[in-house]
Amino acid sequence: MKPLRLAIAGLTACSGCQLSLLNCEQELPQMLERIEFHFFPMACSPAILEGEYDATLVEGCLSMPHELDLLLALRQHSRYLIAVGTCAAWGGVAALRNGENREELRQSVYGSSTATSGSFSPQPLHAMVAVDAFICGCPPEKEELLNLIGDLLRGALPSPISHPVCSDCQMRENLCLLTERSALCLGPLTLGGCGARCPSLEVPCEGCRGPVPEANLSEALELYLQKGYDHAAVLGRLRRFCPEWKS
Amino acid sequence: MPAHFLATKALEKLLSLLRKQGELHAPQRGDDGVLRFALLKAGDSPDLDALRTQLPPKKYLLHPRETILTYRAGSGYQEPQGRSSPLILFGVHPCDLAGIDYLDRLFLGDAPDPTYAARRAALTLIGLSCFPDNLCSCHLHPSTLKASCDLYLQRQEEGFVITSGSLQGTELLEKLKEIIEERDLPIPEDTRRFFGRQLPPPSQSELDAAMPDWQELANHCLGCGACSICCPTCACFDVLEFGGLDGSSSERLRCWDNCLFKSHAEVAGGMSFQKNRAERFRYRYRHKYRGFGQLKNIPSCVGCGRCRAACPAGLDLRTLAERLERGNP
Repeated sequence: MKPLRLAIAGLTACSGCQLSLLNCEQELPQMLERIEFHFFPMACSPAILEGEYDATLVEGCLSMPHELDLLLALRQHSRYLIAVGTCAAWGGVAALRNGENREELRQSVYGSSTATSGSFSPQPLHAMVAVDAFICGCPPEKEELLNLIGDLLRGALPSPISHPVCSDCQMRENLCLLTERSALCLGPLTLGGCGARCPSLEVPCEGCRGPVPEANLSEALELYLQKGYDHAAVLGRLRRFCPEWKS
Repeated sequence: MPAHFLATKALEKLLSLLRKQGELHAPQRGDDGVLRFALLKAGDSPDLDALRTQLPPKKYLLHPRETILTYRAGSGYQEPQGRSSPLILFGVHPCDLAGIDYLDRLFLGDAPDPTYAARRAALTLIGLSCFPDNLCSCHLHPSTLKASCDLYLQRQEEGFVITSGSLQGTELLEKLKEIIEERDLPIPEDTRRFFGRQLPPPSQSELDAAMPDWQELANHCLGCGACSICCPTCACFDVLEFGGLDGSSSERLRCWDNCLFKSHAEVAGGMSFQKNRAERFRYRYRHKYRGFGQLKNIPSCVGCGRCRAACPAGLDLRTLAERLERGNP
């Protein structure tokens, strides 16, 4: 069987999503038998972009011109391009202050240094290129990454998830933090697949996986309001991971 | 007629006898306040006043996510090996027993499901009477589904009247001889009488409310899926296959699905039989209260009230159903 030729790149992000893949220590030897990690700067050197890729996994959002160049090159030479993690899919925490004056923000962090000149408001990948599949999460679940690799080995893409965190949570027979504790739990609005990791530890969902398809934001905002959370507080919480949430 | 009577103080003896038959599970309240069917360890007491556990007993018969086939190069698809070990559920209320009757009709019908059949055969049901609260609707809408079990405990002052519902139940009663008294007792009616009724099939009118009715429900629905997950008779599932890292092996999983989710009625090419939440509500109503396929005309709501308790938005499909049925002679 011809090895799967992969490129794995990180843009503006914390590298946690790539690290999640590298943390699959038990599975890595088996992956290496089938996969050629051809371009993976975080893990393999030298990293030279060359030839065609069966798939490219991209972590992080776009905020620098050289990232856009890299992304366009990867897109051009990849059969599939997959956004891995909430930053790549939705913008993530780096996009938290989109809408504010970019130059002022830049100067407040970097002063007069020109190292980051040309940076622009962080964008998710789909703002610039066609994305074939999305793996959400901050970081994504190990299982999701392994299933993605399994799918790619068969020339397939993962099935999109369409259930919210609440569904995972109810299946685990957890206490509902929203109804029973009136907590600001974002489970009903957030894409599931994490097995309700946080609510299972009685920590309200922070929304790190971004919006579930057909999220009923207006009704959820009403419900949160009844529980004492104003719209601004809820939207502020939601936008920490996905600036696209609009009231 | 004399009845078999078990005093409350002898309950522990019944429980230890049951533990000898297999793993004993019963309703218990967790530290987080949630009522669940869970392993009842020796010395622990079941919650006899538990009206509704968060998940119904279906969780034992259909796991939320389970492997139904494995594929290996050379041997092809194989069903999972391993036998189901005996499980005893204590304290199952009539609505949940009726829920299991519905699942039996679904999964043990003309094409029995091997996984379900094995678990069901290993399951012993000890029913327990209850009184409906304001979320229950068993008393308002009797059901043709049967609340069958192996032993049924009807609560009395200071104990229970025990009746057997199966050969296994009779054998258990035999073993309980020492602790059972024969008493002349009037047997009080309980919620079990609302089940196993001979009822005319539901009206054949389509009861398709105008879409605005369904849209009204859909507008308030958060799409969390809790109503279906906690339903004793919701058994829709999705089948997913995940490939192994060797590039050839795979696992095929059965996972609880949910008719309120976008993916539920999606088919190849991105088409969908239910494009929006209002259409999904109508579908849910027609499945739950009208039935279809082999179980057409068998309403599957057992009135346990879980969906009403679980809905964060306080929605109640039953209320709309009642309004529709009143409006359709």
